[in-house]
Amino acid sequence: MSAELRADGVTAGYGGDPVIRGITVRVEPGQVVSLVGANGSGKSTLLKSLVGVVRVSSGTVRIGEADVTNRPPEEVARAGVGYVPQVDDVFAPLTVRENLEMGGYLLPPRDVRARIDHVVGVFPRLGTMLSRLAGKLSGGERKMLAMGRVLMLDPAVVLLDEPTANLAPAIARSLLEDHVRGLASNGASVLVVEQRARAVLAISDRTYVLAGGEVRMEGTPAELSASPAFIESFLGGTVPR
Amino acid sequence: MNSFYIINLLLYAAVDAMACLGLSQQFGVGGVTNFGFIIFQAAGGYAAAILALPSDSANGGFQSYIGGWNLPFPIPWIGAAIVGGVIALPFTFLVGRRLRGDFAAVGLLVTAVLLNLLATNYRPALNGAAGLSLIPQPLQGEYNPLTSNYQWTLTAAAIALCALVYFFVRRITESPYGRSLRAMRDNDVIADSLGKNLLSLRTAMLVTGGAIAGLSGGILVSYITAFSPAAWGYAETVVLFAAVIIGGAGNHLGAVLGAVLVPVGFEEVTRYIPTSNNLPPNLIPSLEWVAIGLLIVIFLWLRPQGILPERRRVIRAVAPAHPPEEPVLSPLPNDSAPQPHPAPTIGPAGQGPGGGRPAGREVVGREVVGQEVAGREPGGGEPAGREVVLQVIGLAREFGGVKAVDGVSLEIRRGTLTGLIGPNGAGKSTLLAMLAGTLTASAGQVLYQGQDVTRLPAYRRARLGLVRTFQLASEFKRLTVMENLLSAVPYRPGGNHPRVPGPVPSESPGNRGDSLRGALAGRWYWRDDEAAAIARAQALLEQFGLDGHANSYAGDLSGGQRRLVEIMRALMTQPRVLLLDEPMAGVHPSLARRIGDELTSLAASGLTVLMVEHELAIMDEFCEPVIAMADGTVLAEGTMAELRRRSEVVEAYLVG
Amino acid sequence: MTIFLASLGFGLVTASVLAVAAIGFTLQFSVTDVLNLAYGAVMIAGAFIAYVVNQAGLNVWVGLVAAVVACSVGSVLLNAGVYAPFQRRGASPITMVIVSLGMTLIIEFGTQAIAGGTSVSYTMAQGPTVGAGGLELSAVQLVVIGLSLLVMAATHVLLRYTKLGKAMRATAANRTLARNCGIRTSRVITVTWAVTGALCGLAGVIFAMDAGSFDATSTDLFLILILAAVFLGGPGQAYGAMLGAVVIGLATEVSAAYITPSYKYVAAFVALLIMLGVRPAGLLGARVGART
Repeated sequence: MSAELRADGVTAGYGGDPVIRGITVRVEPGQVVSLVGANGSGKSTLLKSLVGVVRVSSGTVRIGEADVTNRPPEEVARAGVGYVPQVDDVFAPLTVRENLEMGGYLLPPRDVRARIDHVVGVFPRLGTMLSRLAGKLSGGERKMLAMGRVLMLDPAVVLLDEPTANLAPAIARSLLEDHVRGLASNGASVLVVEQRARAVLAISDRTYVLAGGEVRMEGTPAELSASPAFIESFLGGTVPR
Repeated sequence: MNSFYIINLLLYAAVDAMACLGLSQQFGVGGVTNFGFIIFQAAGGYAAAILALPSDSANGGFQSYIGGWNLPFPIPWIGAAIVGGVIALPFTFLVGRRLRGDFAAVGLLVTAVLLNLLATNYRPALNGAAGLSLIPQPLQGEYNPLTSNYQWTLTAAAIALCALVYFFVRRITESPYGRSLRAMRDNDVIADSLGKNLLSLRTAMLVTGGAIAGLSGGILVSYITAFSPAAWGYAETVVLFAAVIIGGAGNHLGAVLGAVLVPVGFEEVTRYIPTSNNLPPNLIPSLEWVAIGLLIVIFLWLRPQGILPERRRVIRAVAPAHPPEEPVLSPLPNDSAPQPHPAPTIGPAGQGPGGGRPAGREVVGREVVGQEVAGREPGGGEPAGREVVLQVIGLAREFGGVKAVDGVSLEIRRGTLTGLIGPNGAGKSTLLAMLAGTLTASAGQVLYQGQDVTRLPAYRRARLGLVRTFQLASEFKRLTVMENLLSAVPYRPGGNHPRVPGPVPSESPGNRGDSLRGALAGRWYWRDDEAAAIARAQALLEQFGLDGHANSYAGDLSGGQRRLVEIMRALMTQPRVLLLDEPMAGVHPSLARRIGDELTSLAASGLTVLMVEHELAIMDEFCEPVIAMADGTVLAEGTMAELRRRSEVVEAYLVG
Repeated sequence: MTIFLASLGFGLVTASVLAVAAIGFTLQFSVTDVLNLAYGAVMIAGAFIAYVVNQAGLNVWVGLVAAVVACSVGSVLLNAGVYAPFQRRGASPITMVIVSLGMTLIIEFGTQAIAGGTSVSYTMAQGPTVGAGGLELSAVQLVVIGLSLLVMAATHVLLRYTKLGKAMRATAANRTLARNCGIRTSRVITVTWAVTGALCGLAGVIFAMDAGSFDATSTDLFLILILAAVFLGGPGQAYGAMLGAVVIGLATEVSAAYITPSYKYVAAFVALLIMLGVRPAGLLGARVGART
């Protein structure tokens, strides 16, 4: 299954003043699109508003033809969206296998076993710890499990919120290059939020720069790296309005 | 309607109202949810009984109980209050700990049932299930308790004591101490960081509430001359809670109203329901309980604040147009050398070099912004030339093997607005927390005005003038903006001998009324301190443009306005060094600029600010120098423009 | 020895009733984060429903089925109609406790209003007695123990081996993440209350059978035993509830044999207070209980 992810003019917040304003982002199947920006720029909030965890006050979110704006998270998941949050990304009291089973909750029961085998093929480490409690895994292993859980449904759209946070640089690079890029190679539309701008630019087809809750710049990694304005907007060089 | 009926009604009303006042104080004002409240009333009742009764062997021998000293009035009542208060002390264990609210409630409920069970079954103590009877009434030797006059006098005494309790409770609540209680109720973590001693506040709540409940039990026992465990099951606590919730928690008249409506009201209403032989005898009492349950749920849903909600405390500054009676910032000595220990202020005579705390209502006549402090040059030249007010040497902090801050050394100069930037995980917030004292350092030193404060807890540093704000919402929602500011004013011991150990701030005024004794002493005692604080708060509100909202509840303001409240609250403590943790986060750019402007003018008057911020545009406009951190260490220092040109800073942000 | 064995017998029955009750209570807490103090009241309402059926001439075991169904439905309504709306509003845990106390009053005294204040008993045959030494159990008591073991086994199977059970554990662990997996958590919660409500009804009837005679207030003290078992094992932990039930059930009855029977609850209460004070997460729980 493949589908385009489109967010048009999304404004959202936690009640009170909106955190993000008028965000328009597009991800086509097979693409890795990254979202970078300083802390507090609204990157996490955008992802949460796309999956229905945060309320969108104006704008629309579309998965292919379907309008999923403000649909409950379980409906968004059924529309083919896999989401890996930044924290609380696994079910700690459940085993690795059970976590994967929950990832495959929407699958017909007879397919679950095969899918788990497939995921273990992608993340062989997981195969050695299927009976271990997810809460006892190391940081890198948890991220792997979180991504494996999302893989279970072979989603059309994958949203990743800072997947390399707290990971060692080498593991981070491998995660981005092999697995995140790999998701797109399989046809998914991947939107990844990252603090490690350099690393994620290397694997992205397109990048949006967020600052102060708005999109400041967008372009291909080549375009952005060549632009002095990129560093400026990334480091907030222009005084807002 | 004979007079004994009215006496019964009034006396029960007085006793219940008294108990509800104690509970309202604990629960509504102090935020202490004590589901074992009935135990205090029971303890008082039993205490009065065993103090008044003759010894059990001399009393006909069919009751068995401890005590029995046959003491005359008013000792049983006094004893009841004392026992009620003392028995509350062990409860601080369950209530003060960081246990989930509902778990603690369950624990207290269970304790009440447990004690009731023990009293019921352990006959030698308090005559078990049958309870105590034939309890002597006050002065029954001299007067005949069966006469109408006696009963009226007893009732009048009960009502008088209830009124006394009302005023006692009011005096505590309508004082700076009461404000600290309400602050603790709204947000105990922040109250703690402002220097309020939570344990002492909660203990005071429990003990005073316990004493009041105990007294009510003693009076009750003197009237009905009998007392058994059936009178104080856990259902009775639920009734009292229902009364306080329905009447209005946190409003003392509401507590009285609740007492009249619920325990008394229900009792009376059932009198007038016609009984018929077709109805089973227990139906009415059962339906009463159902009704109380319904009222609890309905009120919590529709009107949780109760019939008489907690009053908004409206405070008007005495003379808003006049210059404040004390400067917003403490005047600083004109010495440009590193500061010695602040000189302790004992009595009116002890002053440090230059300035010092102005006494009483002396009008100093200084302007608020850009003021010339006597004997001191504003600015004092280039930032590099001013003295170092905050010095960090090799500071480090580890979390389970991960070095969040790895050997940072800094010098912050007086009167500067220093920015602290860096990508996520750089260690900025950790560093700030260590400077403020809300987090202990694993290694290194923090020197404030030359004094080593590395081991000093946050509230002590705050008293010395090193103050921080918090990233997340930290206003007291159910206090007005003015009250939020006033709550930051610390306690100052009255008289010549401060009981506060350690260095006493010389220039940071306090409020004598922020203690139980101060509150009980009455308004005259703390009125001056309060007025001075109000004037300072009013000046700040005008300066930041929020004086129109002075009497709005802080919880009703917008996010940006609440940020301002937090900054103003920090400024109320007259800090020398202000540590701001992302003050502009989520703030509208024009408001952010306003905050920046205010901070700049305050810096020009000698305030030193260190600000962690992500909005790098703010750094551009207001901060110099800016310190860039990454991976727990300092990368570079300079203006924002300079930093942007440094490749290692850019890399740090891009690598993330 | 005879006394010990006899008390052991009582203890096994008490532990059995307690286990069924505690499992239900703790699972309600795990998915909803509410201490449903009205649980005891629902139990006794169930006991009375079985009594009414019994008085109509039917076998009390038929009444048990009726109680199970009624309490199941009632519990779903209790959560959907009362607890969930308050929680959606952001009510604090303290408010939820007070609400549950209010519901306790409504349900318990509503039952009393309808059923009357006098104690009643089921009309049922106790059956032959089995046992040796001092340990003698009637057929009914054996059935109760058997039912309890059945419930424990079924709970184990449900939580570990069924999709629903795993979804319940996932919902309890991280509701948002469960929704991100496509789990309809509101349905899972409804089913959880239906199942635990059924357990509540079952517990109420077997409690009444064990007690012999009962009235609307009979479960007041029993609720505290349930709380003791739940907190001993860890609130939200089903296996903890089983462990806690066995410990508390046996301890109360065995201690009652050697100390005055009226004090048998005291040991349980003290155990509960100690757990709250020292380790609110219980013996099997992770570090919870502190305020966030």
